[in-house]
Amino acid sequence: MATNAQSPRLARPEPRGIGWSLLLTLPIAVWSLLMLFRPGMDTNPKSRIAAALTALFMTALFFMMMRTGNTYRWRRIFFVSVGVLFPVGFIYNIVSMRGTMGIPVEEMIAGRTPFCFMPIPLLILPAALTRTLVFPGSIVPGGGASGAGMAAMVGMWLAMTLVLGKGWCSYACFFGGIEEGVAAIPNRARIHKIDPRWRYGPWAVLLAMVLLSLALFEPAYCMWLCPFKAVSEYIAARNLIGLIQNAIFVLLFAGLVIVLPFLTKKRTQCSFFCPFGAFQSIFNKISAFEVKIDKERCKPCLACQNACPNLSLSQESIARGETLMSCMKCGACVDTCPRQAVVWHIKGTEIAWKPERARLMFLYGAWAIAVMFGGTIIYGGVATILHFIA
Amino acid sequence: MATPVVFGEALALGLASGPACIASCGPVLVPSLLTEHTGLRYHARYLSVFLGARLLGYLLFAVVAWELGALVSLPPAPRVLMMGAVNVLLAGVLIWYAWSARSLCGRSCAGEKLVNIEGTKNRRAAGPAALGLLTGLSLCPPFVAAGVRAAEQGSVAQALLFFFFFFIGTSVWFMPFISFGCIARNEAVITVARMAMALIALYYASLGIAMLIGRKAYGY
Repeated sequence: MATNAQSPRLARPEPRGIGWSLLLTLPIAVWSLLMLFRPGMDTNPKSRIAAALTALFMTALFFMMMRTGNTYRWRRIFFVSVGVLFPVGFIYNIVSMRGTMGIPVEEMIAGRTPFCFMPIPLLILPAALTRTLVFPGSIVPGGGASGAGMAAMVGMWLAMTLVLGKGWCSYACFFGGIEEGVAAIPNRARIHKIDPRWRYGPWAVLLAMVLLSLALFEPAYCMWLCPFKAVSEYIAARNLIGLIQNAIFVLLFAGLVIVLPFLTKKRTQCSFFCPFGAFQSIFNKISAFEVKIDKERCKPCLACQNACPNLSLSQESIARGETLMSCMKCGACVDTCPRQAVVWHIKGTEIAWKPERARLMFLYGAWAIAVMFGGTIIYGGVATILHFIA
Repeated sequence: MATPVVFGEALALGLASGPACIASCGPVLVPSLLTEHTGLRYHARYLSVFLGARLLGYLLFAVVAWELGALVSLPPAPRVLMMGAVNVLLAGVLIWYAWSARSLCGRSCAGEKLVNIEGTKNRRAAGPAALGLLTGLSLCPPFVAAGVRAAEQGSVAQALLFFFFFFIGTSVWFMPFISFGCIARNEAVITVARMAMALIALYYASLGIAMLIGRKAYGY
């Protein structure tokens, strides 16, 4: 498949008036304040400043989405910020608590690692067959994987997934931002030809990791293949296998999150590797929101296909008027289409039925989740930076 | 002297251990089945070969270990070496399997029709047999549990019979895999299965190599 990846060339819809944009932004402004100044947040002045900056940042980005009618550019600023600031806050906390980024296997077994959504698909089969959570972490203070706590977290994820589908990967994931930022650096892609079969990679990783997790009774992805261990907490290498594991983490991070996104201008880890993304694709089928192509307007110029950071459009899918099930709803294709033929869509409605209204309804849900997860991460990173510089 | 009760116990032990056995063999069996023909009969034949070879692996190990007087307590060093070698061989077979499946959808996968898989004659018996034998030789916990009881039998023949009944018990759990024959095969399914096999092979290879060069498995 030949791609000519460029930064999305924006179709420049008519801007909204400032007053109307502000009014549309008001619910998000209130939500941001509620989330970032909620009871239990740190009350020291630096943390308050970090919270205020984050609320302002999230509100301003949403305002720009409303004002300009573009989604991708502003979402990307948020997403890259989350990706870059997540390691800042996380590593600081881990090193403060443990003195090192390395985690010994005993700590994992004791459940003293923070919760991560990545192993959710790997937990299902062992939990169903043996009623055991093979998760090396905790979401309750002091360690230990509480079944009720884990069920609550999985329930929350499910509710959000029903709204976002695979939009999770563009608005809620705290890992994809680094590669999206790297992919934005070069003006044009160095590698244009990508075999479309690589799109099946995430499904293969998911299949292999589910089977190995069941066989080994450990979250195999966390133990062997997670590229983001390189920027979060690696396995304390006390023997050869530990060294091999860490070498795999670093190589995968360097290859899939840095080098390949730079060369292809695509989110290669998300597109070709992430098993959670494959799992989320299933939920695109039941999410109410999707991106469609109005076949009557479309002159297949393939600008949308080239702009898609996730290879979720093929010539066949464009001809069918739809994206592939791996679509992350980032908005790049919608913003790029010169004929505004690629539109946000609510299932069950006509293709051309008020796409801007569909966009707004999706964005309210997506941005509320973005503030809740991403906003908290940005706040943590900013607070850490302020702690060091002020 | 072994009695029917003992063999009943072997059968019960096998039945109880079945979930652990399918979990242990799943990483090898599931992707390799997904690269094969559709059809229940074909999958039944594939599973028969796989399970037959797995039984052979069980019995071979039992005979050798019995002769060495180490059915229960194989010393740690040879055990690690044996497991390392089995893992490396398993990785090799999986890579060969994934590679040999490359041409399976050459003709019909370009369309979105079901695949008429060609060119699998050579590996029809050899592939599942090699995988079955190697999974049979791996010392999974149920296998060790059966080994403990088999070692208490009066003769090697009785121990082998014990293993045989244990094997029958575990094999019942593999029957649902025949239903994989109902899954339609297209380019996506076969490519995913091949890539998964390669990843699983890399896992086994890493573990096996680390064992062979004399390092203890991480953490346990």
